[in-house]
Amino acid sequence: MTAAMTPDRINYPQLLETNALIQQLTDESYWLCVTRTVQESKLFPVSPYMLLSYFMAFYRYPELVRKVDRHLPAEQIGDRMRNMGIKCANPAMGWGLPSFYLLGREYMINLGLLRPEDALDDLIDVMDFWKRFQLGWHRNDGHLANSNYGHRSQILPERRLQVFHADMYECRQGDALHDAAQAFMAAASQYGFLISCESRISLCNSGPYRLSDTREMIVRDYMDLSESDFPWLDDVARDIPYNNLTVSMAVEGCHIYLMDDWGSFESEPEFKSHHVVGVGLYTSDSLSEGYLPVAMGSRDELTHAFTELTDKVKRATARLWKRIAAWTRDQMMDAGAITYFAIAKDIAHVAGCYEVEDWMMVDERAERFRPLLNDEYSNAFLGELVGSMTNPSQRLSEYSMMMHADTPTRMYSHIPYSVLDGGDFTRTVGPLRPGRSHLDPKQDRYTTSQGVLTLEEYNRRARAFTPAVCRPRFRHLCETWLKYHHQSPLAHELYCLEQQHSRKLAGRGAGVTRAEIEGMRDRL
Amino acid sequence: MGNYYADSDKFGDEAASPLVEAFHSAVKNLVRERFAASGKDWAAFVFDDAQDLITAQDFAAIDRRMLDLGHRYAWSAQVSVAERPDAYQPAQGLNEDLSNFSFEHAEAVVAAADAQGWAQCGIGDNVVPFDEMLTGTARYVRSSAMVLDYLTRGVPPGTIAIIDDSGGTLTAPILEQFAGVLCAGGTVRSHLGILTREYGIPCFMNAKLSGIREGDTVRMETTARAKTAEAYQQGREMSARVWRLAT
Repeated sequence: MTAAMTPDRINYPQLLETNALIQQLTDESYWLCVTRTVQESKLFPVSPYMLLSYFMAFYRYPELVRKVDRHLPAEQIGDRMRNMGIKCANPAMGWGLPSFYLLGREYMINLGLLRPEDALDDLIDVMDFWKRFQLGWHRNDGHLANSNYGHRSQILPERRLQVFHADMYECRQGDALHDAAQAFMAAASQYGFLISCESRISLCNSGPYRLSDTREMIVRDYMDLSESDFPWLDDVARDIPYNNLTVSMAVEGCHIYLMDDWGSFESEPEFKSHHVVGVGLYTSDSLSEGYLPVAMGSRDELTHAFTELTDKVKRATARLWKRIAAWTRDQMMDAGAITYFAIAKDIAHVAGCYEVEDWMMVDERAERFRPLLNDEYSNAFLGELVGSMTNPSQRLSEYSMMMHADTPTRMYSHIPYSVLDGGDFTRTVGPLRPGRSHLDPKQDRYTTSQGVLTLEEYNRRARAFTPAVCRPRFRHLCETWLKYHHQSPLAHELYCLEQQHSRKLAGRGAGVTRAEIEGMRDRL
Repeated sequence: MGNYYADSDKFGDEAASPLVEAFHSAVKNLVRERFAASGKDWAAFVFDDAQDLITAQDFAAIDRRMLDLGHRYAWSAQVSVAERPDAYQPAQGLNEDLSNFSFEHAEAVVAAADAQGWAQCGIGDNVVPFDEMLTGTARYVRSSAMVLDYLTRGVPPGTIAIIDDSGGTLTAPILEQFAGVLCAGGTVRSHLGILTREYGIPCFMNAKLSGIREGDTVRMETTARAKTAEAYQQGREMSARVWRLAT
């Protein structure tokens, strides 16, 4: 039995912790929503589909995280995530999973359909799953989220950073590699917004990591690019050979001073393409032994790969855009809502329990709200929900001053402690209900690092697979252990696992320093 | 029903938006009636049979009542007004002849033409500073039909696209072909801002424009500082200028 399944969890310490997690997400969600973006589209009904996704999250996340947790505990999925650039990072798990659930809960409270003391087992389980995942994933930096670290993420262990650092190719604005890499990142970013129906959740930056006194490294993930979970990518994305791509990127002349829980960053001075002075390219998924290099054999090979991928991404963009432009509003609503709701779907892939019916459908309990969700109402309500926080449930005593806002508000309601004194409360929304979708059915084709698989085969392989560095022999060999045991055979073995595909470091083991790596790098 | 929590809120009363409040009040009234009539306990009412006790038809009726009162919704996605023209305010400047169309923002900063004939016609938030100012031809890009047309015929060189969609999807297949972008919405952190930065395309977000007609020659002060997150948070003005060549 996992921690999330322990009975009788409605007690004072648990409620204190859950309310603290809710408050952390309140504070950060407001800051993110107010300072990071204004999301709108003339193509997609963005606010309507976002609100629909919140209902979906409220009704389905509790059962889905319990299901995943039964297959693989959240903290172990977090461990796996330190070795992959898939949609379990930011903004998916760092913010989306708990926040979409809480937004759905708050929406229901303001519709008069839910009290703050309702669905408490659900609420506790979602927050607890999130906490355990985050702590496992952030094990190396020791924080719950980037926001707790002053908006920074230091997820990766030294052994992975050394491989990224050593194998990265030097480049300068105007040279062939730089141009090709920049063109790819622009095209893939645009494709990512389109895949994700105007949301940024196909892209994620993490770091920074210090490469030298003058250089920092950002790790940028592009996720769900090929035929995989989203029905709308069937056929149009068949030419994209990788579902996830990670670009390791050295920057010089600017300091990344902010990396938020949506995976976007700020720098001083403003980041521009000429700041990029080194790049590498990798792929990974829940079936790969960590990050696998893509075309990293030579500078020319990498340049060619970026160019070829850019062409494929642009063609896929045009095909997908034409498909989407012909959609009905209901289809756009479904695709957008599913994109948001399924932001954390990859936890099920890692656990080997992914099902289309779980993640790619609109739950019937959420579906009934669709007639309310016209553009004007949705824009107005969403603005109140995440911006002005002027919904009745979000108002506090006039003495209150919310973090970042200074207003007497709270985005997400706390659980009242009175439930511990025999107050009436409810536990759960219950099991999953049937779902539906206006979109074409998903074809049974999933692009993975082990080829194109059926879903049944994908799940079977995922259940049977544990990356070597996550097996019991290595799982608890953390950076603190490494600090004092780097000369041990076990450390050598662990580093060699990470280095097995490295052009520069294969077989070098754990004793190499950053300065030595800098000295062995290819120069222009 | 007994003490309905929504009726005993010490600090909260109504939503700020009249439309939101109208919808939510209607739903709460429905809850009061149906809960009292159901004879069920609260958990059964809101969870077990939730989708049967308050249904899509109930929500559709709330929507219908709002329309029957004469309200027409403001639209944000073209597909919404295209599918329900009876429910939304009319769309303008999308499909008709653009020769007489222009964005007219109440806060646009304008000035008379200088000696060279350049008249300021607005301001915007610069995404990334460039070494030189940008001059080009203004072309409105506001609908998927316009995008499809440009996708088919190609975007004329030197086009400064005037867009009111700060997203990154409407113009996705043609964005790279623009020389510059003036976007009437969003912030420099909006998706369109992010993408133009990636592509190295000069772009002003949150552009407040007046008097720019299709085909006008316009100039963007792309040498201005980029607007910072702090400036947005503090509500501090940090704008770049836009001019058009007076004819």
